[in-house]
Amino acid sequence: MTQDTKGTGTNGLNRRSLLIGASVALAAPLVITGRARADTTLTVTCWGGDYRAGVERCFAKPFTEATGIAVRLVDNADLARMKAQVESGRVEWDVFDSVGPQITAGAKDNLWEPVDTKIVDRSDLFAPGGPTYVGTYMFAGGLAFDPKRTPADKAPADFAAFWDVKTYPGRRGLRPRISETLEMALIASGVEPSKLYPLDVERGFAALDKIKPHIKKWIETTPQTVTLVTANELDFTYSYISRVRPAEIGGASIAISTKQTLNSLEYLAVPKGTPNREAAMRYVNFVLKPDRQTAFAEMLFFSPNSKAGLAAASPAARQYMPDLKNPANAVVNDEWWSDNYAKLQKRFTEWLLI
Amino acid sequence: MNHALETRFVALLLAPLMVVMLLFFLLPAGSIIWTSLHGAKLDPSTYLDLLTSALFHKVLTTTLVIGIQATLVTLVVGYAIAMHLARLSPRHRAVMMIFVMLPFWTSILVKSFAFTIVLGDAGLVNRAIAFVFGNKEPIQMLFNRTGVLLGMLNFLLPFMVLPILSNLMAQDPALARAAQTMGAGPLRIFLRITLPLSLPGVLSGVLMCLSLAIGSYITPALLGGRTDMMLANLVDFYTRQTLDWPAASAIAVILLVITGTIVALLTRVRGGQAEVL
Repeated sequence: MTQDTKGTGTNGLNRRSLLIGASVALAAPLVITGRARADTTLTVTCWGGDYRAGVERCFAKPFTEATGIAVRLVDNADLARMKAQVESGRVEWDVFDSVGPQITAGAKDNLWEPVDTKIVDRSDLFAPGGPTYVGTYMFAGGLAFDPKRTPADKAPADFAAFWDVKTYPGRRGLRPRISETLEMALIASGVEPSKLYPLDVERGFAALDKIKPHIKKWIETTPQTVTLVTANELDFTYSYISRVRPAEIGGASIAISTKQTLNSLEYLAVPKGTPNREAAMRYVNFVLKPDRQTAFAEMLFFSPNSKAGLAAASPAARQYMPDLKNPANAVVNDEWWSDNYAKLQKRFTEWLLI
Repeated sequence: MNHALETRFVALLLAPLMVVMLLFFLLPAGSIIWTSLHGAKLDPSTYLDLLTSALFHKVLTTTLVIGIQATLVTLVVGYAIAMHLARLSPRHRAVMMIFVMLPFWTSILVKSFAFTIVLGDAGLVNRAIAFVFGNKEPIQMLFNRTGVLLGMLNFLLPFMVLPILSNLMAQDPALARAAQTMGAGPLRIFLRITLPLSLPGVLSGVLMCLSLAIGSYITPALLGGRTDMMLANLVDFYTRQTLDWPAASAIAVILLVITGTIVALLTRVRGGQAEVL
């Protein structure tokens, strides 16, 4: 069944796929079927803006050209809606693109199909992901500032400096999200980035207590991390290279230090019960191809998860890709968070309100 | 016979509305209550957990306090605006009404982002104040309670001005003239005649603003500080971040009960008094 590229029903024959199959069979004489599976449209989630443009150009369009499978991108997909789709048995999104805490929470809730190892080749990846999800690229978080107001040597370049409010006075911003924030606090308190896990939660919260009075805004939305610095509301904030660099290139007065970064994986997962399981797996495999990984990273300043893809990236792009061999940089461990995220995020939210 | 026909006719007219209410309100509300009780298990543990949750208590208190504060601020500003509008000529009033209605027609998300530019340290208001009074330190109007209240004032104002204005305009101007000939000053006329007569309008404006303010979500998230989290933000937290749907549903049910009580009071006011809107 999995090798079938012309048929309409894949695994899990249910009423829906039967109905689709029947209607396609009825319509078949009316349609000239030049290419295989031209009837399939994959729906893939993404994050809008430049990200959407990058996915469209580097993954979706070339995938359609190579396979004849149309790809529709939807923005602002969230896990709650994904869960509602899986639970009601009406899956509209075939590939879910998200960050560690969401993907592992989905895995815990049993929302994903197991990765089809016959289709998806993960041999070339730095971080392959889990049994139901695949790591696609790394995004790096670091400390952003306005170089016009604060020269680079006066802005905190690593997390210990961010915590040092005497040497680096200024209005600070952090995210109201415990993952990344706890890692940052622990590194600032002196923990080696390579020896973070399992996280020393009490030590982390003690470090957070110290920085709390100096945080002007706990920033809810990612775009606000950039706009609050450019609007002169914050001096230093945690943000992402993939957000700050495009703004900088676009002419905004903002820069980000790459001296110390927190690196997180982005993942793809295929929701349980999707009628396009096989096409979705083929899309996941396509995204992992080294040349696609390089193209995407060059466009959006992400770091490829494919070893060959990283090796092929241009020196100009690699300049903004954090070097994981540098001991100052840390990689967020999503497996650890999958067991601790819900509990710690609740504690963190309570801590924020006191 | 006639009466029966009329009833049937009314039922027919109401049928589409009933279907819409059933599909888009009663069924979803029912499913939320169902989820909050852990589906078929009919397990009230979520509610019991919430009763003992420090997080929930804190957020519930913040929600009620912000709701009442925002409503009071809106009442004071809204009443003044309504008084002014009521005294204008119809042509001027029509022009001024546009300014009252503008925030009503603008997306709340766009407005909240725009407030950063208006209220910030380097914002229009602070620069204007610095220019006039020459003070160095900017006034903190963003990412704290002041920011939330200003954002809500902007969003709630039409809901306060409209009922009060229509009430003020329905008042017989002869009453004020009569009081004047009897020797009453402007303050006494306001306190003894205008204000008591406008109370139904005030009350329906207050209840409407209160129920809207309590359900706020974007304004506290974008303009508030860390202690300005409201119930809707907590629902979002449980729905999207922890996928704890029973907890999210239970909070939504509690929010629905609070606003439902307010709306019930609102219909009371409308039923007991003269038509307000």
